[in-house]
Amino acid sequence: MRWRRTLLILALLTPGLGVILLMIGSVFYVAVMQSFGYYNLVGEDSFSLEHWEKVLGSKQFSRSLSYSAYIAVVAAIGSVILAYPIAIWLRRPFRGSLAISAVLKAPLFVPGLVASFLFLNVIAFHGVVNQFLMWIGITDEPIRMQNDRGAWGVVFLQLWKNMPFALLLLTGAVQSISDEVLDAARDLGAGSFARFRKVIAPLTVQAMQAALIIIFIGAAGDFAFQVTAGPTNVQSMAQYMVFLKDSFGRWNQAAVVGVSLMILALFGSLILAFISSVVLKSGNKW
Amino acid sequence: MFRTLIATVATVATASGAFAGGHSELLSKSWDEIVAQAKEEGQVSWFVWYFQPRYREIAKAFTEEYGIEVVIPEGTHEGNIEKFLAERNRDAGDIDVLAMGTDRIDLFDPTEMALGPLTDVLPEAPNMRTELGGHDGLGYAFGYWGNQTGIAYDPNKIADADLPQTIEDFEAFFAANPGAFGFNYENGGSGPSFFQNVTRNIINAEMDDWLSGEVTEDRMASLKPAWDWFLDHTDGYVITASNTDSLQRISGGEFTMVAAWEDHLYGLQVKGEIDDRIKYYIPEFGMNGGGNYNIVPANAPNPAAALVFLNWVSSAETQTAFNQVFGAAPMHPNADDSKALVPNEMRQYSTIWPGNPFNTEIRQAFVENVVLER
Repeated sequence: MRWRRTLLILALLTPGLGVILLMIGSVFYVAVMQSFGYYNLVGEDSFSLEHWEKVLGSKQFSRSLSYSAYIAVVAAIGSVILAYPIAIWLRRPFRGSLAISAVLKAPLFVPGLVASFLFLNVIAFHGVVNQFLMWIGITDEPIRMQNDRGAWGVVFLQLWKNMPFALLLLTGAVQSISDEVLDAARDLGAGSFARFRKVIAPLTVQAMQAALIIIFIGAAGDFAFQVTAGPTNVQSMAQYMVFLKDSFGRWNQAAVVGVSLMILALFGSLILAFISSVVLKSGNKW
Repeated sequence: MFRTLIATVATVATASGAFAGGHSELLSKSWDEIVAQAKEEGQVSWFVWYFQPRYREIAKAFTEEYGIEVVIPEGTHEGNIEKFLAERNRDAGDIDVLAMGTDRIDLFDPTEMALGPLTDVLPEAPNMRTELGGHDGLGYAFGYWGNQTGIAYDPNKIADADLPQTIEDFEAFFAANPGAFGFNYENGGSGPSFFQNVTRNIINAEMDDWLSGEVTEDRMASLKPAWDWFLDHTDGYVITASNTDSLQRISGGEFTMVAAWEDHLYGLQVKGEIDDRIKYYIPEFGMNGGGNYNIVPANAPNPAAALVFLNWVSSAETQTAFNQVFGAAPMHPNADDSKALVPNEMRQYSTIWPGNPFNTEIRQAFVENVVLER
């Protein structure tokens, strides 16, 4: 009877787990194998570490890796930091809170590429921002803001796009904290910030971790924002991967970058979630 | 298991004549017989990665002449080539005629994967170019589209007489107009053409030596003076996001000059997306010209129709139409090129791309030594 039960469990898991294992797993498998010299579109297949050596030894790879990690960390932490006070503010319904909440979540419905092009139009050489700055006399000639080297444009877009997602997760978590708990904290003399770090943060840490992980993974793999609004003196990992494939036909090296990106997404998000969890759970110590 | 399956399919395909030579009996037929078979096939699919809607309009003339329907699917350059490579072992693929940049011919062996040689088969072959942009199509690939890189400029900001023609002129321009010149190294070949030719001039390379595809450590190290030049003048130029980005920004008044493709600029001006005031020239220090090839895959499903289409698309009439509609440099000696953006005498400054792998290594070296160091 035991094997029947095992089969039943496997059958129940198959629709969900099967898709992950077969579809995503096979893609991951091919990418890994391709990075080691297999699954070539042209030429012979053979095991080789050459592609890893070439990519890992290039300056472009280390720059791309650190850049993508930087954008992902800033996007994840920034989005959560921006979302927390709004989630707390929206915790108890008030007149118009529903409308405010809906407006704040509107960026979720705008595709990233569309947002990026809209952003470019606004900050363009003759865009509305420059026109306004010239009109109020701050500058005599337009300022070149497009594809800024500091990646401020990409950071802005990441926060604009991801903050609503963090808000979505955190609002539910914050609303689940009962008034009694917060009133008790207040009765014991906790101020606003103390209530946040000693009550709200530890009780919403799981939602916060989920937001951090998902935003980190999405931002680390960003392509759309980077190719349109990103700096031109550095490439994101996804952009670098496509660049290797499209410009040079180096499929194997592109696979190395792809696998590296997956490793960054996995370990980067876990480390970020772990650190933030430790920090927030120790809220009553700081 | 997977390898066994592939090997089995490949063996069966080879035995059934799916690879090169599978349509070899076709090549021994007379042209009239090929045309007759093409009409029986009734359809040809042309995988080209740009201007598809306007190509469909132009291809109506082919359908009227031969009664053969032309299907032009949507698709990207890389996507089409990857499809061609991926289905090379199929008995019959989906592609009848595949368009590609000339440099892509190095990705595969045309004698194995394309139908040909066609030099003695196509009536227009004596007027068609199989050697193009430094690449040799070996009679399997033929140019149907000529293009040229150069500099688009805003005549409201710079007079024709002041246009930089030499490296020294560009140095002076950068000093006098910081940030007024733009080019892209990533999404488009006009930027690479610019920095390759600047590099060639700075290191005083002989053209024959320069065009060699050989890559050695010494050769790559010899490029350093050029990288230093770009770093010394880093305030003089802006790296843009793409060719289109460069042209849109010069049209909007942000730049004075940008590296661009002649046909790309013309096409955008015809559509009204770039202001007509923007003009174009090829500097005297040289910029690369080239074009695009058409090939017929060895496993084309409609091989006769593909040959007739290949012949038609390279004819003087069609090449004239390409020049008038797109501003492309004709690939047929009898075609009219009156819509070109530059006069014929300026084309003496046109150079060609160096061979691979040097062509790709120099681009990689530019990224490592200039882009990441700015």
